[in-house]
Amino acid sequence: MISLIRSEFRKVFSTKLLFILIISAAAFALLQVFLLIFVTPPGLEEANQLMNPQYVKTITASAGSASIFLLILGIVAMSGEYRNQTITSTFLVTPVRWKVIVAKMATFAILAFFIAILLWLIVSITAMLLLTTQDSAPFEWSGALEILGGTVLGLVLYGILGVAIGSLITSQVAAIIIALIWFLIVESLLSVFFDTFANWLPGGALNAILQTNGNPEAIDADLLSVPVGALVLIGYAAVFAIAAAFFTTKRDIT
Amino acid sequence: MSIVVEHLNKSFGSGVTAVRDLSFAAAPGKVTGFLGPNGAGKTTTLRCLLGLVAPTSGAATIDGVRYQEISNPINVVGASLEASGFHPARTARNHLRMIASGARIGDTRVGEVLNTVGLTAAADRKVGGYSLGMRQRLALGVALLGDPKVLILDEPANGLDPEGISWLRSFLRDQAAAGVSVLVSSHVLSEVQQTVDDVIIIRSGSLVYQGSLHSLTEDGLPEVTVRGPNIGQLSIPGDWSLRESEPGEVVVTGATLEAVGRAAFEQSFELHELSSKAPDLEALFLGLTAEEAATTDGSQS
Repeated sequence: MISLIRSEFRKVFSTKLLFILIISAAAFALLQVFLLIFVTPPGLEEANQLMNPQYVKTITASAGSASIFLLILGIVAMSGEYRNQTITSTFLVTPVRWKVIVAKMATFAILAFFIAILLWLIVSITAMLLLTTQDSAPFEWSGALEILGGTVLGLVLYGILGVAIGSLITSQVAAIIIALIWFLIVESLLSVFFDTFANWLPGGALNAILQTNGNPEAIDADLLSVPVGALVLIGYAAVFAIAAAFFTTKRDIT
Repeated sequence: MSIVVEHLNKSFGSGVTAVRDLSFAAAPGKVTGFLGPNGAGKTTTLRCLLGLVAPTSGAATIDGVRYQEISNPINVVGASLEASGFHPARTARNHLRMIASGARIGDTRVGEVLNTVGLTAAADRKVGGYSLGMRQRLALGVALLGDPKVLILDEPANGLDPEGISWLRSFLRDQAAAGVSVLVSSHVLSEVQQTVDDVIIIRSGSLVYQGSLHSLTEDGLPEVTVRGPNIGQLSIPGDWSLRESEPGEVVVTGATLEAVGRAAFEQSFELHELSSKAPDLEALFLGLTAEEAATTDGSQS
């Protein structure tokens, strides 16, 4: 398994995909930070009081909302093997195919772990610096730290989910489009009309572990608790991972 | 280690039957040509052998076991399937290193293999810029990484220039001489004619011939050229055929050289030439594989 993971790391680092997605994810997270600080800052009238802890959490959760980029990374890496037909060599080296799926998931989980910490640092430090330019109380690191675990877990599980989706839908374009439509449109619509139900979906579970629904005013946002959200998201990742291993083993590679 | 295919059948979900009750064996120390027109089921058969495609029924084994059961299989079986299995932005060296690490093969072997297939100078260029011939060499390099005892190569000569083909020939001969079982597919007989010991010919997923290339040509009767005055009046049995190629020269088919000589002697013809020419292999191959082509369903290759 170690050798398979090493092989997966060599795959990742021999193309530019990873760096492009990290830069995009960082840009996306920073854009959210800018919007939250300069465009929709809540409670400025209380600025000289203690900082609203939900505000810090919401800002820091911008790092975790970049999870969607890990999902895309996983999808592109896995379905790319089918697209470029490197899947043939991959399965010739390792004909027991579930091992390949597990190795790829482990690889992207490890990458996601470090990317999560990187994004969390970038977001927190940027927020701290930007808030000093505002007429605001200082940035509360304790609030940011509360979000670190959720950010790491969110990125890791979305990375795993991406690999699973990329092995279930092997057409790269279809996999990306379906995933984006689901996470950006379908889940958003469901959360508007059936918010309790939507809380149990992957996006809702991600919000739960990031302790925010993106609205800095919603301190008592009606989300799952952090542990339940984590379990729900782990459950989705596990179900999709098992399905991916099962269908990949059954598939004819032509 | 021999490659054995027994009563192999493969139908795809769409109702297409690619391989029908195919059985053959390829022996160690020999180059076996696996021939058939495009769409005859060659690639599907090779993919069954390599555990990439699950047979509908029957078995495809290497040294008695299925590919999936071999631990660290690329150290036993080297395969090159299609020339397009590379990430265009990855260099040849990185492609090989990626495969090598998965199979616990050291990076020094990567350099050796690049050297063997003549890609050392281009090793750090992106594969996207490679010619078809260079991709074929890289695919062959992948097959050689594990220094395997069995080589399964799908259309390896495709896209090679004449120099490359001649290099491939001597390379395959050397491998067989070292005891490797080499199974090499092609849709052009002449490509492998000078390299192979045995041939397996399939058509529409079924076996049409297995045996040595030599006995394939022996089965076919030669063209006998007879020259002499008035030879045009030679009378022959009904199952032979005769055509006058030029005045004083006829070509007889359907009989051996000896039989034609006897007929001319018995009819007291003066002869200036009696010679035979082996039948054209390519024509023989086309005859074997093209028959019933009209009734063939759309099998996958």
